[in-house]
Amino acid sequence: MVNQTFPIEIIISNKPQARDPEGETITRDLMHKAGYDCVKDVRTGKLLSAKIEAQNEEEAKSKVLAMCNDLRLYNPIAHTITIRARN
Amino acid sequence: MLVGDLQTTLTPEELEYGRRQLGREPNALEWALIDAEWSEHCSYKSSKTTLSQLPTSGERVLLGPGYDSGVVDIGDGYVIALHIESHNHPSAIEPYGGAATGIGGVVRDILCMGTTPIAFLDSLRFGDITRSDHSKWIMKNVIRGIADYGNCIGVPTVAGEVEFDESFERNCLVDVVCLGVGRKDELLLAQATHPGDSVYLVGGSTGRDGIHGSTFASRTLTADSESDRSAVQIPDPFTKKLIIEATLESNTAKILRGCKDLGGGGLATGLSEIADKGGTGLEVCLEAIPIREPDMSPIEILISESQERMLLVAKEGTEPVLSGIMRKYGIAYARIAKVTNTEVISIVHCGRLIASLPTSFLANAPIIHRTSRVPQFRKPVPLQEHHVDSHEVLLALLASPTVTSKEWVYRQYDHEVGIRTVAKPGEADAAVVKLPNGKLAAIKVDGNSRLCQLDPYVGAAAVLAECCRNVVAVGAEPIAFLDHCQFGDPNDEEIFWSFSTTVKALADFARTASLPCVGGKVSFYNQDELTGTAIKPSPVIAVLGLIEKPEHVTKIAFRNDGDSVIVVGNTEAELGGSEFNHLLGIADGAAPRLNAELEIRTQRSVLECIRNGLVNACHDCSKAGIAAALSKMAVAGNKGAEIELERESVRIADHELLFSESNSRFLLTTKNPREIVNYLSSLDVPATNIGRVTGDTLRVKLRSRELSWSVEALRDAFHNSLQRIMEPWQK
Amino acid sequence: MNLDTQLIWHNDFTTTSFDAVIIPGGFSFGDHLRAGIIAASSPATEIVRRMANDGKPVLGICNGFQILIEAGLLPGALLRNSSLKFVCKWMKLHIRNNDSAFTCKFEKESEARMPIAHNEGRFFAEEDVLNRLEAEDSIVMTYADENPTGTSRGITAVTNKDRNVVGMMPHPERASDLALGGTDGLKVFESMVEWARC
Repeated sequence: MVNQTFPIEIIISNKPQARDPEGETITRDLMHKAGYDCVKDVRTGKLLSAKIEAQNEEEAKSKVLAMCNDLRLYNPIAHTITIRARN
Repeated sequence: MLVGDLQTTLTPEELEYGRRQLGREPNALEWALIDAEWSEHCSYKSSKTTLSQLPTSGERVLLGPGYDSGVVDIGDGYVIALHIESHNHPSAIEPYGGAATGIGGVVRDILCMGTTPIAFLDSLRFGDITRSDHSKWIMKNVIRGIADYGNCIGVPTVAGEVEFDESFERNCLVDVVCLGVGRKDELLLAQATHPGDSVYLVGGSTGRDGIHGSTFASRTLTADSESDRSAVQIPDPFTKKLIIEATLESNTAKILRGCKDLGGGGLATGLSEIADKGGTGLEVCLEAIPIREPDMSPIEILISESQERMLLVAKEGTEPVLSGIMRKYGIAYARIAKVTNTEVISIVHCGRLIASLPTSFLANAPIIHRTSRVPQFRKPVPLQEHHVDSHEVLLALLASPTVTSKEWVYRQYDHEVGIRTVAKPGEADAAVVKLPNGKLAAIKVDGNSRLCQLDPYVGAAAVLAECCRNVVAVGAEPIAFLDHCQFGDPNDEEIFWSFSTTVKALADFARTASLPCVGGKVSFYNQDELTGTAIKPSPVIAVLGLIEKPEHVTKIAFRNDGDSVIVVGNTEAELGGSEFNHLLGIADGAAPRLNAELEIRTQRSVLECIRNGLVNACHDCSKAGIAAALSKMAVAGNKGAEIELERESVRIADHELLFSESNSRFLLTTKNPREIVNYLSSLDVPATNIGRVTGDTLRVKLRSRELSWSVEALRDAFHNSLQRIMEPWQK
Repeated sequence: MNLDTQLIWHNDFTTTSFDAVIIPGGFSFGDHLRAGIIAASSPATEIVRRMANDGKPVLGICNGFQILIEAGLLPGALLRNSSLKFVCKWMKLHIRNNDSAFTCKFEKESEARMPIAHNEGRFFAEEDVLNRLEAEDSIVMTYADENPTGTSRGITAVTNKDRNVVGMMPHPERASDLALGGTDGLKVFESMVEWARC
């Protein structure tokens, strides 16, 4: 099979159990103060948008996961990552 | 060890002691409180007896060890508070958050004395960054964590040191010192003294992060530590800044009777300690504690180490003023306890008593008497003849991680904020900051783990001596010190021996110098269970000095062509424990000797010369010897020098003369060489005029040859090396 | 300098009756989301905007500069330093424009030394905007030698068309005491006094 290029997104953010002071400040001091009460919660993260060469989308995602662990792109103590294919 | 369902670090003896003292079996919540407070990190149970050797009183000392910070009187109604903290275990697995929350922790200790934090210092120890990517990763993130946090709260990080050694590969050491200044009549203590007062919890919310942090710090790191998820805390310097302002404002409004930071052990230890110090009890209302997650158990709530929380003990009737201040800064606050005269800590949940322990029982862990054993005697290695290219060796030493300029580090720290920093990183032997009464404070932190491994007694004393020497070199009189003793597993008798020897050495030198210890810490269990590697003994010392007049401030740079260069003190053939030996892979000999009385006499007489306006530049001779010291003065001043060491080089080999790290030495530049030499000689302090500042080359004449280095070459080796190691891709 | 000054907590800043306002450096709202963005939408910034529109001298230092940009009172954007690290260093500056409220006491094309200390100080704008700023002489200061943060054309301070609003990344208040490293910063405040008098 021929290798294709898949657009894969990596989102790195604080674990759900951990506080996200940046998200809290944005919600409270920017959004709520300006009247956007509809916002219940905001959490921040870092987005890496990558193009991955692989035989299929699953392989692309698992390559990315392996790389994230190997290079410590996130620290499992404090962060969680979401890996998804971009449409 | 399991007690019921609870994991605990308490030994069977401690559990037995607990049952016996209390007269009954504590319930699960009570065991959890005891476990937190009696952990090594919080209770110092292994070290208290040993530490009691340290001299702690002096005419300026208002508060010594045993409080959140040491407090020293600096005259005119002002005081300085100082404290040292570490976050070794958290930083080893999450370096950014661990280091940042370490800064957050030490600033709370200063704040709860009612003083304003005005400076940080950091003392860091990592593995070999020239060989280990892991250590580079740890270092990068530790420094980023310290920078982000310190810069954000607007407290300058004004000085520090970094040491590298393989023993720190998996157990980095992250020490931070904080200095605060305040008025004597606004000094607060961390105690609840008046029944009827209220205890408020202010700041961040209480969640599940950081649970078991203090017990985490009381165990060695294992493979499981990597997944010790809850033991890491999230830094929030923005909230901290608001808390700093609100606490200081509350104190100025005279509504506070006490203030306590919540660190290791969370509320469990915070509440018990303020009651114990105040000789009172507390009735704690559990449901009043604001929690972040809806279903937290009482144990989780009380031992949580969520960051950015303080306890404020407010006088009865002051709630309106307090709430006004908290609302101004947008800080959450809740009244969670009432001070009672029962001398019992009672935890009440919706009217039901769920835990009750006598205050002094909870707050005072039984002392553990540890045994020690002297390690196998190490024969000194006979000095061998080496063919040494001293020219190349100096450049290599100036480029080696421990010796080289740490500019790559301190450029990331805002060292100017607060407009007090008179001597900035790299300019002088110690940092110098302005004080509100017109005087200045000099502050330095030092350590030397390789030397302490070689000889714990001489090594520890030498570290304290060097730190004092650095403070004297900027024109200050040492007035107090902090010590942080960092070792491996105290159950290992040889390690415990090196700890108790270290403390004895510090006590002996401090007594001879009449220098009181006003605080410190002990951090055990810095050991990797996988490899069994313990860190080298790492006492880290911070010395505070006082400078009477701004014109006394002295920096290291060569200033004027024609200034004479004077060496104070004798250089011996003592390469044991030196950077030179480490560079050449030479097995170590004996540590350089230290004559405490001579050291102190030398320091005092040099200070006298500085105060009399005779000294233009001053630098102590330590790591990498006199050659490195001359180089640093030349690079800082962008001027060379012509130095004659022919007479000295008759006694010992060239490389010994240039690179020995003998104690009690200074380099001075002056326009009055004869006056200085005569004065020092009259006091039996060795002093020799060895040359003058001139040109753009450092020339050193020895008996057999002359060595020379351009200042440019010295600068490149000294200033650009760390950048090259940390960011090899940058130009 | 014998000026009647007040340090005001942002929520208490409600009157436009002052003669000048300085927004200092720091980390307003922790620099969350983007430095200066949350502060830019606060009521205090509205007061600053009205004073600026009234022609009064308004100085934004470091974080203050970031706030003025996010509030739309100055052009361009301030991005993360290209080195991705905080930089604290004394810099040699080139004073390009001396007809603004905070530089009228400097000699045109002179040099000054002041420290910078920031993580997000890389001034950026697209080429056509930069050309316009040059043409309008709105560039107040640039770095004279090295450019540690990668700012476009070395720009480190800009002013508005009316010359009363100035934003600068260097800290003049930290360069106002010889014991701390230099006094070139004093001229910034002396300029403000001069301008307010005219």
